[in-house]
Amino acid sequence: MRTHKHVPGPRVAAALVAAVGTLVAAGCSSSSSSSPSASGSASSTSVSTSQCGTKPGVKATGTPIPLGAIATNQPGTSFTDIPNMAAAYFACVNDNGGINGHPIKYYIETEQTNPAQIAADAKQLVQTDHVVGIVGNTSILECTINHAYWEKLGYFVVDSGIAPECYSTPNSAAINMGPRYSSDGAVQYALSQHVSKVVFDQSNVPGTGYIAAGPAALAAAAHTPIVQLTENVPIADANSVAIKEVNDAGPNGAVVLNFTPPEALVILQAAQKLGLENRVKLWGCSTPCDTDFLSKALGPKWNNKLFVNAEMTPAETTNTPTMQLYKAILAQYGKSVSGGIGSFSEFGFAEAEIVVHALESVTGAYTVASVNAAIKAVSNFDTGMVCKPWTYGSYPMHIPNNTDYTVTPHNGTMVVAQGCTDISSVDPQIAAYRKAAGITG
Amino acid sequence: MPSWLDFQPFIASGLALGGVYALSGVGTVVLYQATGVVYLAFGAVGAMGALIAWSLTNAGVVGWLAWLVCVLFSGAVTLGYGMLFGPPLARRDPLVKAVATLGLTLVLFGLMDLLWTTSGGQSRAITLPTDNGGFTFGEIQVTWTQVIGLGAGVAIVVVTSVFLRYTKLGTAMRAMANDREITATLGVPVRRVEAAAWLGCGVIAGVSGLLLADLVALDATTLTFLVISSLAAALIARLRSITLTFVAAIVIGLLHDLLTPIQSLSNYRDMTPFVLAAVALLVFSRRRVFSASREEV
Amino acid sequence: MLDLASRTAPDGQPPMLRRPGTPALIRAGVIAVLFLFVLLALPQLLSLYYIDAMTQVAVYSVVALGLGVLVGRVGLVSLGQAAVLAVGAWVAARLLFATTQPYPLVLLEAGVITMVAGTLIGLPALRMRGLYLALITLMLAGGITVVLATTNFPNGGHGFLGYDGSTVHIPAIRRPSIAASDPAYFRYSVLVAALMFLLVFAHIRTRPGRAWAAIRQSEPAALAAGINTTLYKLWAFALASFVTGVAGGVLAGAVHYLYSIGFPTQDSITLLAVVLMGGAYSMWGAIVAALLLQLLPALLNNWGVSADWLTILFGIGVLQVLTTAPAGLADQVPKDLARLGGLVAGRLRRPAPSGDGSP
Repeated sequence: MRTHKHVPGPRVAAALVAAVGTLVAAGCSSSSSSSPSASGSASSTSVSTSQCGTKPGVKATGTPIPLGAIATNQPGTSFTDIPNMAAAYFACVNDNGGINGHPIKYYIETEQTNPAQIAADAKQLVQTDHVVGIVGNTSILECTINHAYWEKLGYFVVDSGIAPECYSTPNSAAINMGPRYSSDGAVQYALSQHVSKVVFDQSNVPGTGYIAAGPAALAAAAHTPIVQLTENVPIADANSVAIKEVNDAGPNGAVVLNFTPPEALVILQAAQKLGLENRVKLWGCSTPCDTDFLSKALGPKWNNKLFVNAEMTPAETTNTPTMQLYKAILAQYGKSVSGGIGSFSEFGFAEAEIVVHALESVTGAYTVASVNAAIKAVSNFDTGMVCKPWTYGSYPMHIPNNTDYTVTPHNGTMVVAQGCTDISSVDPQIAAYRKAAGITG
Repeated sequence: MPSWLDFQPFIASGLALGGVYALSGVGTVVLYQATGVVYLAFGAVGAMGALIAWSLTNAGVVGWLAWLVCVLFSGAVTLGYGMLFGPPLARRDPLVKAVATLGLTLVLFGLMDLLWTTSGGQSRAITLPTDNGGFTFGEIQVTWTQVIGLGAGVAIVVVTSVFLRYTKLGTAMRAMANDREITATLGVPVRRVEAAAWLGCGVIAGVSGLLLADLVALDATTLTFLVISSLAAALIARLRSITLTFVAAIVIGLLHDLLTPIQSLSNYRDMTPFVLAAVALLVFSRRRVFSASREEV
Repeated sequence: MLDLASRTAPDGQPPMLRRPGTPALIRAGVIAVLFLFVLLALPQLLSLYYIDAMTQVAVYSVVALGLGVLVGRVGLVSLGQAAVLAVGAWVAARLLFATTQPYPLVLLEAGVITMVAGTLIGLPALRMRGLYLALITLMLAGGITVVLATTNFPNGGHGFLGYDGSTVHIPAIRRPSIAASDPAYFRYSVLVAALMFLLVFAHIRTRPGRAWAAIRQSEPAALAAGINTTLYKLWAFALASFVTGVAGGVLAGAVHYLYSIGFPTQDSITLLAVVLMGGAYSMWGAIVAALLLQLLPALLNNWGVSADWLTILFGIGVLQVLTTAPAGLADQVPKDLARLGGLVAGRLRRPAPSGDGSP
């Protein structure tokens, strides 16, 4: 028998407890950027953000040019910083003349790695928001799921790629190198240090075979044995992972990781706690490890021990006008970019730069055809963010950024260990791209 | 087949992992013994406490104070939940009470992702001062934190077993978990005993959360759903024996890590808790049908 | 005995097959009209974004229906239905890549194979009751999730697993030739969902339904009355697995690409949450559950609201349902509306408020 008490009291109390708890936690949570370099840069630059547009100080008031983006945003994996930084750049351009007086209207769709949702997001952008260009896509699955749709409709996407189709299809060109070519870079560096064996460990997300093929080819060409491992993420027991990697590599070997920053951090921290970091010759990591968060969390034991492939020009140690503009825009317009200075916001900045450059060359109406023709025509554009000038081009596949830096932690920041180095053409996909693009050497 | 030398380093890490599962599993069983509720929000509450401690430490608050806030937060949330949702659900099936804690888990999980965003490649970590020291076992360094983790598990087992069996308050808790109504008619101050049970278990969740955040990862998803794996140990003990939960957790951890060097099974080793729990339950249930209805608690 | 969703179950009389009276005919008419509207008119009215979302609603309404049968009708809580859905999707994808069989046949096969798997797993698990059954299904789901993460979903490769990890161009899972476009595939999925609902309806109205009601009331009493409780509980598992397997097949065609990260363990928990919120007992509850699970996120996404708020909402919903409204929204909302109507009518009839007219 249950007496039904009308209990508004406890429910209200529950709501109050929840609200108070949320306020307390909100007051304590650090979701805003707290990297010291952000505050440091404000004093070192005198570049005004108005340099981003053609008419400084003049707000754009014409008919808007709609652009769109799709980014993964779920617990544990969030790439929203990238389109958010692109949005910051567009906001700056809108405040300083727009595109021939037209402001850019930017629609960002987020998804939770649900294929149906990703396909639906694309349709929303095209059919409801009527976007004329797609820029800033960063998603684990989007290129695979939507590339046929973009090809059918004639959109030439500028994205930060992850899936194989971001690099192997005609309608997608990325600002970054993606997991395979970034891992190539890390393995390439390890091989250049004459290690006797390479252990390549990556997270078990879609495309592991595709990613592993690059390092496998590089190791084979260098006559060095390579062990391929995968780990289910999120990693529940980093200790066993670290021990396994170190055992397989041996004292003169290298362990190269391809994980998202949190997962790479737990493996490296486990290795440090177990006292294993010096049991191999060196450790390597693909681009996701290139963040100040990671270098601060790791500590000095990893100075010149961990070598990270950096797809973008290091922001800390570069002081060009473009880099100063990037930091200024981030400070002024980038409130929703929670990671601050780092590769994610550099991606967003560079992708926005490219598309604005393309849009400024459009004469006449801004339609899907005209905008995407202009994007495809971008050639040898110096973004100031990557090693070499960036080209879209009419190729069946695109790997426009195929030259990298290698950085290493140094007491809380990342410093350059090796300057711009081409990714070796031993990787068959790189060779195919260079041939299609007419790049020799 | 790998050699003994290949297996050796995984013994230490396996024991450490077992300690992790034990912390979480023992805490869950203790709460079940004291309140009759399988507290599936155990991991989420500890995770949120750990994240708050991280934020405080980042903002400059001294270490031990931040950890204290973590423990107090977990205690307060658990106590609040117990006081609000304990009485209305007290006469319902244990299954209903467990599913209700899933509701709390979802609320906390959503809050954590809202407040501690994972964009921007942020990787958070909690480091305790005991991470820096340790001793060598085989060729592996064992940190004091791992020893503390294992030790905390043992301590919880011993202290709560003694408490529940030999003290007045503990006996009252067990009686209440068995049948709240009858215990009330015997003159036991049920609300106060209940509050003590929930608060105590909340504190255990907070301490576990801090240790797990250090030993495993400071990640809301990992810590919240770690409780599913540690539930396996609790299920093997049929939610009855705290000691058996501890032993089962150690065995699961050891087996999980010892599978690592075996190439063909290595990627499946995350299944270890689930397979062991399923097998154990099916073996035990061959002789009798058992349920968690009130009469049998 | 489990009383998770049965406090205000509407059947006061033994559910026998009898001549439908006028209210039942009116209800059937309303359902038919709604069904035709959804099938024919809705795709014309919605944008492709919402058609895709509604296709997912159709798929998950069947999954929620299966879970509702288990939880609401029989009183068995399964925390592993997302894993069952994944198995169904896996089987369908493998068959669609490896053979050129017609779509309905593939769906049937996916349903049957999933049913066999579900029954085999259910058989030993049925010795457990209540809490232990729920937790063991959670364990099994966790195990299947790990296996799927390692074996991956078929993507056109060869071998038993059909997974080729190194391909740079993953082929899409095919759709039936008559339903290739999104609106057409929406209609197809609605038709399949309707068939599954009819199947479950037929079960509920005949002997299995009566046996399940008896088991939910009191299992010892049902045993004493001579009902083979093990058989009927197994039957419930089989039915739930079959419809969920078919739903998995429809899902495979809807999304074209399947990934193991799309079926995390926490999906099973959210699924239980929405089924409880929608109402595990009524078949309308399954549709409400699917709308909560698939349409609401699509709406929130459009409005720029984070999906985390939905997780919080589901958590609060579970707590609310379990403490105050056990039959869920599908039962509660009409009741609340009726009560509201009664209040209003009372006010209009009497000029002065009297005594305790409070609900």
